[in-house]
Amino acid sequence: MTVNEVLPLAVIASSLLPGLIIFALPERRIGLRSALNLLGAVSKLVFVGLLLAGVAAGEEYGFRHTVLPGVELVFKADALALLFVTLSTVLWLFTTVYAIGYLEGSPHRSRFFGFFSLCVTATVGLAMAGNLFTFFVFYELLTLSTFPLVVHRGTPQAMRGGMVYLAYTLAGGALLLTGIVWLHGLMGQVDFVHGGSVAALGPQATAQLKVVFLLLIAGVGVKAAIVPLHGWLPQAMVAPAPVSALLHAVAVVKAGAFGIVRIVYEVYGVEYAQSLGLLLPLAIAAAITIVWGSVRALFQDDLKKRLAYSTVSQVSYIALGVALFGPVGTIGGLAHLVHQGIMKITLFFAAGNYAETLGVHKVSELDGAGRRMPLTSAAFSIAAFGMIGVAPTAGYVSKWYLGEGALAAGMDWVVAVLWTSSLLNAAYFLPILYRLWFRPRPAAWPHEHIPARGWRETGWLLLAPPLITAAAVLITGLFAETSWSPLAWAKLIAAREYLQ
Amino acid sequence: MNAASLTASLLLPLALLLALLPPATRRIALVLAPLAPLPALWTASLASADAVLDLPWLLLGSRLGLDDTGRLFLLFTALTWLAAGLYARAYLARDARRTAFWAFFLATQAGNLGVCLALDLASFYTLYALMTFAAYGLVVHTRSAEAWRAGRIYLVMAVLGELTLVAGLMMTAHAAGGLMIADLQAASPPPVAVALVAAGLGVKVGLPLLHLWLPLAHPVAPVPASAVLSGVMLKAGLLGWLRLLPLGHAVYPEIGATLLLLGLIAMFYGVAVGLAQRDLKVVLAYSSVSQMGFMTLGVGAGLSAPGLWPVLLPAVGLYALHHALAKSALFLGAGVALKVGGRAWVLAGLALPALALAGAPLTGGWLAKAALKGGLAGLPAPWGGLLGILLPLAAVGTTLLMTRLLWLVHRLPAKEPVASLALPWLAWTLLGLVLPWGYAQRVTFPEWAGLAAATWPVLLGLLFAWLAWRGRLQVPVIPPGDLVVPLEHLLKILKRRQRDILPIEQRLRS
Repeated sequence: MTVNEVLPLAVIASSLLPGLIIFALPERRIGLRSALNLLGAVSKLVFVGLLLAGVAAGEEYGFRHTVLPGVELVFKADALALLFVTLSTVLWLFTTVYAIGYLEGSPHRSRFFGFFSLCVTATVGLAMAGNLFTFFVFYELLTLSTFPLVVHRGTPQAMRGGMVYLAYTLAGGALLLTGIVWLHGLMGQVDFVHGGSVAALGPQATAQLKVVFLLLIAGVGVKAAIVPLHGWLPQAMVAPAPVSALLHAVAVVKAGAFGIVRIVYEVYGVEYAQSLGLLLPLAIAAAITIVWGSVRALFQDDLKKRLAYSTVSQVSYIALGVALFGPVGTIGGLAHLVHQGIMKITLFFAAGNYAETLGVHKVSELDGAGRRMPLTSAAFSIAAFGMIGVAPTAGYVSKWYLGEGALAAGMDWVVAVLWTSSLLNAAYFLPILYRLWFRPRPAAWPHEHIPARGWRETGWLLLAPPLITAAAVLITGLFAETSWSPLAWAKLIAAREYLQ
Repeated sequence: MNAASLTASLLLPLALLLALLPPATRRIALVLAPLAPLPALWTASLASADAVLDLPWLLLGSRLGLDDTGRLFLLFTALTWLAAGLYARAYLARDARRTAFWAFFLATQAGNLGVCLALDLASFYTLYALMTFAAYGLVVHTRSAEAWRAGRIYLVMAVLGELTLVAGLMMTAHAAGGLMIADLQAASPPPVAVALVAAGLGVKVGLPLLHLWLPLAHPVAPVPASAVLSGVMLKAGLLGWLRLLPLGHAVYPEIGATLLLLGLIAMFYGVAVGLAQRDLKVVLAYSSVSQMGFMTLGVGAGLSAPGLWPVLLPAVGLYALHHALAKSALFLGAGVALKVGGRAWVLAGLALPALALAGAPLTGGWLAKAALKGGLAGLPAPWGGLLGILLPLAAVGTTLLMTRLLWLVHRLPAKEPVASLALPWLAWTLLGLVLPWGYAQRVTFPEWAGLAAATWPVLLGLLFAWLAWRGRLQVPVIPPGDLVVPLEHLLKILKRRQRDILPIEQRLRS
């Protein structure tokens, strides 16, 4: 095996092995467990760094292994895969740090961190999947490894949320599998290749291909929370904050959105999908999701529920960008994959800090929290402005490119969708900022667990991750046009995608 | 040197803002905060004409620099912020939330100075948004019930304006094929893009119907903040129009005519509703609505008849300079009057900028109005003739409104004089009389024979005011924000409806 084959496997193994060891560790070995977690996260980061440098220089990384005749396990670490892998790896590191702080003293931590590692393993696996079969395997592994995390607390509410999650995602997996098997019957194994491969089936297969497209997109659309397949996401907010971060930013919804990208660009090919008339319905579904998610977010008083509906809306920006025919829209959608991740994880970290530190779970209880927790609230505010799309945060870069992409594709109505969505974003985020910063603080917080010590408003491990990711929200927006920004990487992918 | 002064103009207010946050550096930052506009002032007066700073790594590729328009706007913007800052030091000396005020003041200032320097869409929009959102903190500074209400309405309308502006900018950039202001010089974006940009910025300018926030937000802020809100932040919207609309090379008859019409309505509507006010600062805010109407006319004319733009641009610029100086002097003076009472020297100090607003001979207003009239006279029928008649009538209205202001000041009970407030105000008033003359050579100088034409509207206004006083005319009272009041009422009814419907819906579901 060459280095170019080993590196992708090393990326997967760097979370899989620590995860398996952690399962076997006794509960009280906190130090060893944390060390293993961080060792895995940091070494994964190193491997990903090597891959990034290689891919930027034009190197190709991949690995093939025949499982059954005609069915192969294929990994390829191309530019698109690395966009997602890098995001997951970096955010996993912060989430691990945060989770260590968040779960301090709570039971079942070995189980938690074991599944946590498996979940990230599944995510990088599906990101680097080189064909539909491999994608499906890891997609299902992701479902199974996140379920124990969602129900981690074991309360009746958590169990109910977990069951809804499982029902939705397993149904989605079934749809996806149907589509994959159907396609397998038509043309054998379907690899992900630039420009897609199904066009070769010729005009007599178009009707079937349209149905298969619907099955595949619906299958991954469940995780991407496209309306009306989004019902599980707001239910799943009963999970602990680090798991929410995982669901909303690092892994699950991103896996769905990423699946849409792979299916449109590398199974069907964007030009063939356009010629079959599949992109417009996808754009419309995304647009409906964008607006509907925001409308529902308006009416939530539970902070995490409001954020969950916000995710429903924001993740569909990625699908929208994919559905805009042309490189500019692609750039917007792909950049948003990263931008939405860092913004949303900041918001969930901050929401977790309010809950852990002050016992505040509701928007209406946030009055004056900015004075008690200025750093957390500053991070929250930056990310919220990002979600609205106010410059100079990451969010405005996404929205700008999506708007320009829509105009370039002749779909001017998308600008109206962006306008409406941004207005709704402002309508549900600005009142929170108003409460944080301008309302007087209450006489007592609902349940103050962690007292303030000087300017340390909460535990170190809880405070550092949101501050770093909030800084990233600002930096990716301010320096969007530099060669190392997510936007630049998205441009690289789009250039390779459209120069076929 | 140029690059350094451009950077410092933008970064000093932000650096002082950061220095305010940790308690260790707060004291020194509070002392230095009023001086934050000094680098910008230096840039506006001394930087060379070709000063450009390209920052391709910043935002979507940024360019800062100075052209003639930018230099003029930067000059009066920096000056007004300096005057307001010096005034604020005394005005807020004993305010409990002084630090918060200065933080928002500096952030707003950085945005406002920045828009004068931005030569690309992304940095213009970024700095414009910074100014808009930071100003919320100034509006709600007093934490009174009126302040919260004004802040809420300000924010709703500001967000609508920003989003509309961005949508327009997306289309404009798409049509122009680039993000630099220079790329827009030859572009003719579709009318919908132009309309969106005009409307988005129109919220800031205070176009009729988009002005609802203005008479609430400007008066409720602390006096120095009102002075910059009404004096220069409205001009940031105007500057946006000058920068981002396809002025001078493409014809947009419908949008041009709409702006002309809205400008006319603003001129008279602002006066009419302003006369029905009891609060000094509300009167001044409505006067701003009315005065921005004059500048709107210039921009509307530029979109209708691009050939006139070379004459109109310097006239609109001079008008903006004049109004910034006069209006901020009036606001600072109103603050003095509210503390000192209706003393003779206060009335005299207020009368000077008031006369300038009315366009009395030899004032800045006289120069600006004559220049604008000269440009507008070139408009095709019916606008040319119509405006020839209506502009003097608007000056009559302004005179009446200013008389109303002085009358309200006159009735204030006299209190102890406060020198720390009065000095920066009086110095500022005198500067405001002189400075417009510095720009007079850019525009067609009014003919001396035209002195009479500028005099009669003022005299007529004074006569009407005297008649109203003799006749003990009772002025009806219109609540500040005028149309916002029935609008809020409507929203309340809708909310009540929703409350009635929701339980029924829930019952149906269960």
